[in-house]
Amino acid sequence: MGRAITFRSVAEMPPLAISLDDISHNKTGSWRYLRPVYRNKIPPCRAGCPAGNDIPRWLALVAEGRLTEAWKTIRENNPFPGITGRVCAHPCEAYCNRKEFDEPIAIAALERHVADEAFALHDEPPSGERRREKIAIVGSGPAGLSCAYFLAKQNYPVTIYEAESQPGGMLRLGIPSYRLPRDVIDKEIDDIVRLGVEIKTGYRVGRDIDLERLWASYDALFIATGAYRSRPLGIPGEELPGVLAGLDVLKAINTGRKISLGERVLVIGGGNTAMDAARTALRLGARVTVIYRRTRAEMPAIPEEIAQAEAEGVEFLFLAAPQKIERVHGRLRVHLIRMQLGEPDKSGRRRPVPLPNSEFVLEADALLKAIGEDPDLDFLAEELETSEGIVIHNERGRLSRAGIFLGGDARTGPSTVVEAIADGKAASKAIQRYLRSPSRTASALLPERFAPEKIKLNTSYFAHQARVPVLELPPEERQHGFAEVKAPLWLEDAIVEAQRCFSCGVCNACDNCRVFCPDVAISRVNGLYHVNLEYCKGCGICAAECPRGCIDLIEEGR
Amino acid sequence: MNRANFVLPEIELMSSGHLGCQGCGGALAMRYVLKALGEKTVIVLPACCWTIIAGPFPYSTLKVPVLHTAFETAAVAASGVRAALDIQGDTETTVVAWAGDGGTVDIGLQSLSGAAERNENILYICYDNEAYMNTGIQRSGATPRFAWTTTTPEKNPKAERKKDIVAIMAAHRIPYTATATIAYPDDLIRKVQKAKSLQGMKFLHILAPCPPGWRIASEDAIKIARLAVQARVFPLYEIEDGERYTLNAPHEREIIPAEEYFKLQGRFAHLGPQEREQMQQEIERNWARLQRLVQMKAPSDDGA
Ligand SMILES: Cc1cc2nc3c(=O)[nH]c(=O)nc-3n(C[C@H](O)[C@H](O)[C@H](O)COP(=O)(O)OP(=O)(O)OC[C@H]3O[C@@H](n4cnc5c(N)ncnc54)[C@H](O)[C@@H]3O)c2cc1C
Ligand SMILES: Cc1ncc(C[n+]2csc(CCOP(=O)(O)OP(=O)(O)O)c2C)c(N)n1
Ligand code: SF4
Ligand code: SF4
Ligand code: SF4
Ligand SMILES: [Mg+2]
Repeated sequence: MGRAITFRSVAEMPPLAISLDDISHNKTGSWRYLRPVYRNKIPPCRAGCPAGNDIPRWLALVAEGRLTEAWKTIRENNPFPGITGRVCAHPCEAYCNRKEFDEPIAIAALERHVADEAFALHDEPPSGERRREKIAIVGSGPAGLSCAYFLAKQNYPVTIYEAESQPGGMLRLGIPSYRLPRDVIDKEIDDIVRLGVEIKTGYRVGRDIDLERLWASYDALFIATGAYRSRPLGIPGEELPGVLAGLDVLKAINTGRKISLGERVLVIGGGNTAMDAARTALRLGARVTVIYRRTRAEMPAIPEEIAQAEAEGVEFLFLAAPQKIERVHGRLRVHLIRMQLGEPDKSGRRRPVPLPNSEFVLEADALLKAIGEDPDLDFLAEELETSEGIVIHNERGRLSRAGIFLGGDARTGPSTVVEAIADGKAASKAIQRYLRSPSRTASALLPERFAPEKIKLNTSYFAHQARVPVLELPPEERQHGFAEVKAPLWLEDAIVEAQRCFSCGVCNACDNCRVFCPDVAISRVNGLYHVNLEYCKGCGICAAECPRGCIDLIEEGR
Repeated sequence: MNRANFVLPEIELMSSGHLGCQGCGGALAMRYVLKALGEKTVIVLPACCWTIIAGPFPYSTLKVPVLHTAFETAAVAASGVRAALDIQGDTETTVVAWAGDGGTVDIGLQSLSGAAERNENILYICYDNEAYMNTGIQRSGATPRFAWTTTTPEKNPKAERKKDIVAIMAAHRIPYTATATIAYPDDLIRKVQKAKSLQGMKFLHILAPCPPGWRIASEDAIKIARLAVQARVFPLYEIEDGERYTLNAPHEREIIPAEEYFKLQGRFAHLGPQEREQMQQEIERNWARLQRLVQMKAPSDDGA
């Protein structure tokens, strides 16, 4: 087979013109000037996820109903799928290629589904010997816990020092249970404890134990103390009874304390704290108005939360700001002024400026301040400088003393859960690098983001199909309790939704390339594809017909 | 669903190293047809590109017997092979006459009509690349109106419409007539398998894009076949006993303007707006006619 045949005389030829062999000696690869190369790419959803969640890989598992494997796959990059599946602002979905086709994949809802289905599953403790170097982490929010998780998986002994009586940080203290049920937090923290991480609650570093003591007993430190100092309004009357920090109200309610706010509540601010303070006050029976100095478009809160608050009956007053608070006959008189948007400020948003002669007054029983929080890093004073409340940290997250690292909201100011997870993961890597060679100074901590790659999709192979809707508790039923607002998906819906994923840039062995090659030059072994370059003529059909852009055509060298 | 994955028979009876050009639609069509038919197949091959693709003496690209024959004789030579096999008691082997559009709609038409009239038990496949490609892109009866070929240059493009060979074959009331193309391999294979299961004359018309002859990029060969279907230039349908029509594609929601199909092809680059409009109208008329045929009820007893 595959030989070139030469006849030296007529006698050697067959009596009829009949073929004696196939044509495989004819190596048509020599015709080629473009070479197909299989190369998976980073899909936009993954690049859009700060934690680098490998989305198409686990969606493919969900599509086949393999939920346990999907859970393990998510947890390679994110220890908290049940939490992020519920409260993450899911930037991944904003980048999903499917949005140009019909609607983005419901990535967050699927992530939650995977976590819910895995509720009884736990990580295996890592095998192998424990390492000698010990690490202490200050703060048990998502940043600290994520760092602990990734270090524990590498067999490092980790101890977390937490000021409060329970671990979880803002997950537990800030985010109310109607968005994040407590058993979900408990479960996902328990998974980390099962890896051997020790959490010492009731230790406020700087009060109950000082940093120098920790530094003396551990080989590296990670500071992830979040941002708890509520920003003052800076107006007269701020100290009056009835004027409270929104975050303090949330902390009280979320830790089971009973408080009463009265019938009429004003909330100042437009971020997550403002939304949750308003929705919590509503659930305590108040009529609530959120007052924000810009417009809805500039609100930093997660849009979904704004919509939910509105559906529940929270009122909004845009382009207004308080100027002075008085207390008259046991109630608050809040003097406000109308605002208008002027020139863009540093953040790129248009700066609100007061509209002259537009003062007005609102009465209320309570006013909740929720215009932002700053990190409180006084216990670290020597280690860093601050400027306008933002920490200036050295060497991209490493503090001036080698071996002490800073991350999460404490580094960035108020941010998001997934950013905190990404910081914790990056810190775990930086700490490992530092422990391997402590003398090296440049231990980067900033999360490493995946760069999105150009992916040429061939959408002829995809059918239009609506995104699965995520059902919500009817607003009337939400008002008087703290039951979870968003409903879970049914398994059937989850599978169908996961099947909508294009698997952008990630070969899923659909076989198109092999099916369409006119030269039978592509083979598949164990789901992996191989081009036989002896015969491939370089027509480019495989690359053009790959639905998900996994094949590049590169020019052959001359 | 996204996973419109094709699951084709694994068997490969066409070998790498064949002499088809980059992106040859005819080569791919043969690959699919042999996947559908399997080893017990004889291919009868008149003069056409495939004479070359099949390899020069003493080699063969195909792992099934091939009989090379004269340009106008595909159907009659296949009829002869069928008769010889029948005499040997081999009723299992499928005899395929595999001819180009020139060999089918022009020079081979009388031989084809004779075999159809005799209802020979063969499968006649015309792979249609819409010109005499093997000899250097001359017009055939199957070349579309206004298309450029070397014998219908831009200044004097083809004036006549494409001959409707499927209608001609349906008029013979043979058991099975169908259209197919390489962008829909599952549909193509299903039709070949169906033809194989039927006794008597079967005719399959496969649109097989030719990158050099159509002046397209080789990587667009599948895309252009898909666009031909979606633009209703080449609808996919089947006809049983010359009367029962079934439409397979395109679905109403997939339909695109013919311009999408023309604009990728150099052979239509010279078309002015008027010609393009005329082509679109011709497509609409053909489509309306096909719709009527699909809706037409066949009489319950054929009486043939
Ligand atoms: C009301 C509210 C709602 C939010 N909603 C969302 C949302 O829906 N989606 C989203 O992505 N993000 C949301 N966020 C933001 C998110 O919760 C935070 O960005 C995230 O929790 C930051 O994680 P972290 O680990 O850096 O800090 P934290 O979660 O704040 O954890 C810090 C921990 O350190 C502890 N600590 C502080 N000081 C000390 C000390 N000196 N010694 C020991 N322990 C100390 C604290 O008690 C706390 O447990 C919300 C925030 C708030 C306030
Ligand atoms: C009687 C006769 N006339 C002319 C030819 C030259 N010839 C060989 S192949 C061919 C064109 C075939 O065209 P088509 O049937 O469309 O097949 P294609 O090459 O396009 O695949 C011609 C004219 C011939 N072989 N025999
Ligand atoms: S379709 Fe799938 S792989 Fe592509 S961006 Fe969306 S979720 Fe990611
Ligand atoms: S389809 Fe086949 S011949 Fe064409 S480039 Fe791909 S591997 Fe090569
Ligand atoms: S066509 Fe399908 S099998 Fe081939 S590379 Fe693309 S995704 Fe993978
Ligand atoms: Mg031809």
